[in-house]
Amino acid sequence: MDGVTVEGGVSPAMSRRDLTIAMVGAGGDGIVTMGDILSQAGARDGLNVIKTEAYGPQIRGGESSCVVRLSPDAIYEQGDAVDVLVVFSWADFGRFKGEVLPAPGAVVLFDEADPVARTKEDLGLGASARWIAVPFAKIAGDAGAKGSKNVVGLGVLTSLLGLRQETIRRAVEKRFGRKKAAVGELALKAFEAGLAHGATLGKLEGRGIAFAPGPAKLIMSGNEAAALGALHAGCRFFAGYPITPSTEILQFAEEWLPKMGGTVVQTEDELAAIGAVVGASFAGVKSMTATSGPGLSLMTEMLGLASMAEIPCVIVDVQRGGPSTGLPTKSEQSDLWQAVFAGHGDAPRVVIAASDVEDCFHTTVEAFNISEEFQIPVVVLTDQSIGQRRETLDPARLVHPVRGRAVPTAEELADYKRYRDTPEGHSPMSVPGMKGGIYQTNGLEHDESGRPASMHLVHEKMNAKRHRKLAPIAEKFQRARRLGPAKADLGIVCWGSSKGAVKEALALAEARGEKVAAFIPEMISPFPVKALESFLASVGSVLVIEVSFAAQFAKYLRTITTLPEDTIVFKRSGGKNLSISEVDDQIRRFFSPDRKQVPA
Amino acid sequence: MSAAPPTLPAFVPNDYKTDLKPVWCPGCGDFGVLTALYRAMAELQLRPEYTAVVSGIGCSSRLPGYVETYGFNTVHGRALPLATGVAVSRPDVKVIAVGGDGDGLAIGGNHFMHAARRNLDVTYLLMDNEIYGLTKGQVAPTTPTGDRTKTTHYGNPEPSVDPCELAISFGATWVGRAFSGDLKGTVELVAKALRHRGFAFLNVMSPCVTWRGDEQFKTLKAKARPIPAGHDASSRIEAFRYTRETEVLSTGVLYEVKTPSLNDRLDAIKKSARGDAPASTVADIVKTFLPSF
Repeated sequence: MDGVTVEGGVSPAMSRRDLTIAMVGAGGDGIVTMGDILSQAGARDGLNVIKTEAYGPQIRGGESSCVVRLSPDAIYEQGDAVDVLVVFSWADFGRFKGEVLPAPGAVVLFDEADPVARTKEDLGLGASARWIAVPFAKIAGDAGAKGSKNVVGLGVLTSLLGLRQETIRRAVEKRFGRKKAAVGELALKAFEAGLAHGATLGKLEGRGIAFAPGPAKLIMSGNEAAALGALHAGCRFFAGYPITPSTEILQFAEEWLPKMGGTVVQTEDELAAIGAVVGASFAGVKSMTATSGPGLSLMTEMLGLASMAEIPCVIVDVQRGGPSTGLPTKSEQSDLWQAVFAGHGDAPRVVIAASDVEDCFHTTVEAFNISEEFQIPVVVLTDQSIGQRRETLDPARLVHPVRGRAVPTAEELADYKRYRDTPEGHSPMSVPGMKGGIYQTNGLEHDESGRPASMHLVHEKMNAKRHRKLAPIAEKFQRARRLGPAKADLGIVCWGSSKGAVKEALALAEARGEKVAAFIPEMISPFPVKALESFLASVGSVLVIEVSFAAQFAKYLRTITTLPEDTIVFKRSGGKNLSISEVDDQIRRFFSPDRKQVPA
Repeated sequence: MSAAPPTLPAFVPNDYKTDLKPVWCPGCGDFGVLTALYRAMAELQLRPEYTAVVSGIGCSSRLPGYVETYGFNTVHGRALPLATGVAVSRPDVKVIAVGGDGDGLAIGGNHFMHAARRNLDVTYLLMDNEIYGLTKGQVAPTTPTGDRTKTTHYGNPEPSVDPCELAISFGATWVGRAFSGDLKGTVELVAKALRHRGFAFLNVMSPCVTWRGDEQFKTLKAKARPIPAGHDASSRIEAFRYTRETEVLSTGVLYEVKTPSLNDRLDAIKKSARGDAPASTVADIVKTFLPSF
């Protein structure tokens, strides 16, 4: 995984063999269940699936939306052009204005019973949209399955789009029949009624997806993948405090760690969570916590302690919109500065970013490897968009080499000094139970033995020791991805979850004959500068893309290297995921003859 | 942590001493606590490599540097979170948390409540001098109302707290009070606290000669007396008779009950989660993400 990975893009020859279905309604409408069943069925048939959910901030009730994209071909992002839209409530749809975007010519299924009538103009759907009224609730009631309008919806969709009936029927049965067989039977009645109604509407030409079912794929979220990565890496202690959108990591750890002989503590706050993690790692056990921006703010003091006392630890930050409470349920890339710079003093740390669900697994394992080897805190930045979306994965890809916890050898224990000044910067770390390895450490500046020392010369020497780790980390982990042609007119630089939209937009550009490449660092700090600079040398102009109003990434890049003067920065606030069409629009602007007059 | 097998050489108090000289002022009550700790550790024959002393920040939080065990002088207020990580991840290690009243009751107060509530497998020694010593004399949560300090020029306007009362309320399963001027009594109580399984809280009144003057020591010495014989330490109500005392300072075991410690409960969870099955592997977990219908 080290070095620059050249990743194949989406085949430009790919016809749009994909289908994006969005469902919007109120809490209790069963929107999420519909999405679950569609995505589980897709994964069962071996399709590639990406499912995203969005909610209002309400705990129960309130608006919810779910978008499922299915394709036999590789897909990298939530489809931002919805082919089929199911709306149970127009009022709730209005709350996702600008977030759920139907494609031109989209099919819109809506419940005639909805008292809030909307027009095509209201929704900006244009004349090409096809509107189909379906009495979802009535059909469910007539089938004796009142309240199952979501399952009716599944039946209608299955008929209309020619989806694989058998798989979806089994998924419905499994979902509803798992607790009570009678509930499963009722759901099946609703499903059959939906199928029958759908059949009366006729098939939608060119909307379905033709594919041959393949072996089932895994389907998991980025948060689950990150937690799985931690367990794979040998993490056996996890402490955390619930915070949206990272809580699933804590829940996952709490369920599985005891079965693996590990322990989990849900602490009283994030200060305690990271404190316990540092304590457990000091005690010799690989440890991790997970949080979101506000929690990382509280953890900052302990990042400094881990840096000073040189204790390995991993912190996953699933970013959400900020500052303050911000947008707890929605994504943003605005914790970058916090992760890289927050804290007092000169406190070296490592920041690494995941770019999709599978990457959450690899990045977390890699974070442990770096942290353990160099005895340095590592922050893994993911965000709500990849943390909470579910995506299909090939199980064979969930492998990653693991570095074990190293303890001093007998030779190193003779005349043992915990913070021996070594050429690599890190020194053998003993753990309780090692007789010759006893040491006392602290957050005070200390000498090689760990004794407090406030002399300038000691501080200078030990600062140099701790910072010395960064060069070999940067050298060893020049991790970045490069997409697109080796030479390009336009080079996109982005990070984290932006990869998916950029990757797909690159394919669209390639199909138009435009030469666009992309550079996506996995290491954020220390940054793979050499790899970036060779990328910059290979492209004509540079476009930086990020989901941060303050353009944190672009400004950070300027502290690392010199960007060309005409660098274009496309940045905006979070609250909706970066879409393929947004990136595509930027590329088109660049290649349009009058782009100088239309600055991005 | 059990006592060492008899074949091992016996540890004497000096074996637990590092060669680092304490930074404390001459006459500081913390010397008494440190000496008592060395003696109690020897009494229990704690194996240094299987012992960890963890602290936050403050005069008393310098203590781990003076004890020849694994030691960690962490950041202000966070001794107990760090101790939690050590104790839970390494049940084979005896964990001792130490610190002052500001560290444990002000900035770290929230952690105190939860460590006690969890019945964490940690012995917590709070060295209570009723003042912020390291920052040179500011009012602390245990400073008596009305006292003048560097930040209460007009007298402390706030009521103070009784740490033992808090500990009992929070669910600590062993709560004691000592006076560091009474070395013998302090050794006894530290040893008892170390023997307790679960969260043992010992509040040691540890005078600060620099910022509270000779007066504090004299007052404490005059007030200190052993808790009356016949005290029913299993009763919270009885224990509360000896908190918030004004005329006397009762030393001894105020409260003691036996309930499963956090590690006992976590161990039971590990056993029940797994049942008779072997430890789960990552491959087992991965399978649960395959649609099965």
